[in-house]
Amino acid sequence: MNALAIEAEGLVKQYRGRSGTVDAVRGVDLNVSAGEVFGFLGPNGAGKSTTVRMLTTLLSITSGTARVAGIDVAADPDAVRRRIGVALQEAGLDHRQTGRELIVLQARLFGSSAAEASARAQELLELVELTEDADRRVKGYSGGMKRRLDLASALVHRPEVLFLDEPTTGLDPASRLSVWDEVRRINQRGTTVFLTTQYLEEADQLCDRLAIIDGGRIVRAGTPSSLKKELRERLRLPGDAPDPTLDEVFLDATGRTRERVAGDVQEVTA
Amino acid sequence: MTALQQADLLGRRAVRESLRTPEALAPTLFIPVFFLVVNFGQAGEIFPSDSTPFLYGQTYAAFQLPSSLLLAASFGSAALYLVEDIEGGYFDKLRAAPVSRGALVLGRLLAEGLKTAVLTVALIIIALPFGVTIASGPAGFVLLLVLTSLWGIVFTGFMQLIALKTRSAAATNSGGLVFFPLLFLTPNFVPRDLLTRPMEIAATLNPVTYVMEALRSLILQDLQWDVLGRGFGVVAAFGALMLFLNVRMVRRYD
Ligand SMILES: Nc1ncnc2c1ncn2[C@@H]1O[C@H](COP(=O)(O)OP(=O)(O)OP(=O)(O)O)[C@@H](O)[C@H]1O
Ligand SMILES: [Mg+2]
Repeated sequence: MNALAIEAEGLVKQYRGRSGTVDAVRGVDLNVSAGEVFGFLGPNGAGKSTTVRMLTTLLSITSGTARVAGIDVAADPDAVRRRIGVALQEAGLDHRQTGRELIVLQARLFGSSAAEASARAQELLELVELTEDADRRVKGYSGGMKRRLDLASALVHRPEVLFLDEPTTGLDPASRLSVWDEVRRINQRGTTVFLTTQYLEEADQLCDRLAIIDGGRIVRAGTPSSLKKELRERLRLPGDAPDPTLDEVFLDATGRTRERVAGDVQEVTA
Repeated sequence: MTALQQADLLGRRAVRESLRTPEALAPTLFIPVFFLVVNFGQAGEIFPSDSTPFLYGQTYAAFQLPSSLLLAASFGSAALYLVEDIEGGYFDKLRAAPVSRGALVLGRLLAEGLKTAVLTVALIIIALPFGVTIASGPAGFVLLLVLTSLWGIVFTGFMQLIALKTRSAAATNSGGLVFFPLLFLTPNFVPRDLLTRPMEIAATLNPVTYVMEALRSLILQDLQWDVLGRGFGVVAAFGALMLFLNVRMVRRYD
C-alpha cells in the first residue's frame, strides 16, 4: 500500500465563541505516506491539537478537506473512526473503571467479542507494562501509567493510522524512552503514526518527516536532515561548523531566534 | 456490533460507575422517603381513608407515593457523570470510536432507567408499612416500574442536553432545578378537580401531571387504560423528542 495515509488540503478551523472568533488553523496542507512516522511540531497554541482533532473526526472542519486512510473525514466519519487510533493530549480515561475494564470496553466497542476483547486487553496491558496494575481503578494511576493506558486503548483494533497528541509530555525520561520504543514497534508493524510533540529530540529520534506549524500555518516541512541542511545553507555556515540542531531549525522557523529569546530574557531581568 | 449492543456495553459501564459511587445514590433514596413521610405526617389526618373518596380506601401515603417516585426519578445524576466524562476527555475517546451516536446517548440512560426501577422497588417496600398496596396487582406493579423508569430516562435525557450544551457540572446542576417546579405544578396533594382554578390550569398544561396520575391510578385502582394511555403517551412523546435532540447535539458537538 503506497497510498497517502493522511491528506489535508487548505484545512481551516475557526473557533467561534462569545469572545469572538479564533483562527486556530489557517490553511494547512499535509501529505503523510502510509507507513511513516510523521512529526507535527509547533509552539504552544500553534494549532497542533486543533489539527489533530479535525483529522480524528472530533472537530468540525471550517473549510478545506481531509482524507485519512483514503476516506474523507467529513463525508464518512465512522469509516475513518474504524481505521484510526487516537490518544489525545489530555489522556481520556474513565477513573472509575480499572485499566483492564477500560481496554476491554474499548475493544468491544470496536466490535470484538468478549473473549477476543479480554485476550487483546491482556496483550496490550503486557505491551505497555501495566499487567500488575490492570485490575486497579484508573483513579490511582500515576500520570505515566495513564498515558500508557491511553496509548494501549488507542491500539485495540490495530489501527491503520495512529494519532498521538504529545504522547510523552509529563513523562520521566525512562518512560519517554519506553513510549518511543512502543511507537517504533507499532510503526514497524505497518501503522502510520502522526505525532505532535514539543520535544525536538523526540521528533529527531522518531520521525521520518515532520512539519512545523506556527500561528495556524505550516512554516517548514521535510525530513529532519533536509531541514537542518536547508538552514545550514541559508545561514552559510562554514564547512567545519557543526550541523544546526532541530532546535535551531524550530527557532528559526517560528521566528524565535536564540538571540531574540536570550534578549527577551535579559529585558525581563534588567 | 449493533447500536443496541453498544448501548448495552455503555450501560453496563454506567451501572458499574453508579455502584462504585454509592455516596451519590443515598440522597436519591433519602429525599423521596423524607417527602413521603413528611407529607403523609402533615396531611394524613386531613384525608382519612374511610371518608376520602379519592383514596379508594387506602391511606394518604398511597396518594403521595407517586410524587416520591417521580422525585426519585428526577435527580438526573447520569448527566453529571457525563460532564465528568467530558471534562476528563473520555467522552472524546468514545466520540473518536465508531460508536453509534444514539448508543452514546442511550447507554447512560438505560443505566439510569435500571437504577430508577431499583429505587422504585425500594420506595414501594418502604411505603408498605404506611398501608400502601398496589391495587392494580402484579401487572400494575410492572407497569409502575416501567413508567417510573421511563420518566427517569426522559428527565435525565433533558439533563444530558444541558450537560452537552454547557459542559459544566455547576450549570447542569442548576439547569436541573429549572425542571423542578414541574414536579410541583401537579395535583400532588389533591386530585386535579379539587385544585384552585389557576393551579388546575397549570397542572393540566404540565405533562408531568399525566405521568403522576397514571402512577397514582396504578396504586389506587384497577388498570385504568385511558389514564395509563395518557401517562405512557407523555413519556413516549417526550422520550422521542429528547432522544432526537440528544443525538443531534452529539452529532454537532465540537
Ligand atoms: N475550544 C476552543 N475555543 C476557542 N479557541 C480555542 C479552542 N481550542 C483551542 N483554541 C485556540 O486555538 C489555538 C490553537 O490551539 P491548539 O490547542 O490547537 O494549540 P496547540 O498547538 O495544540 O498548543 P499546545 O502545544 O499548547 O497544546 C490557540 O490560540 C487556542 O487558544
Ligand atoms: Mg495541543
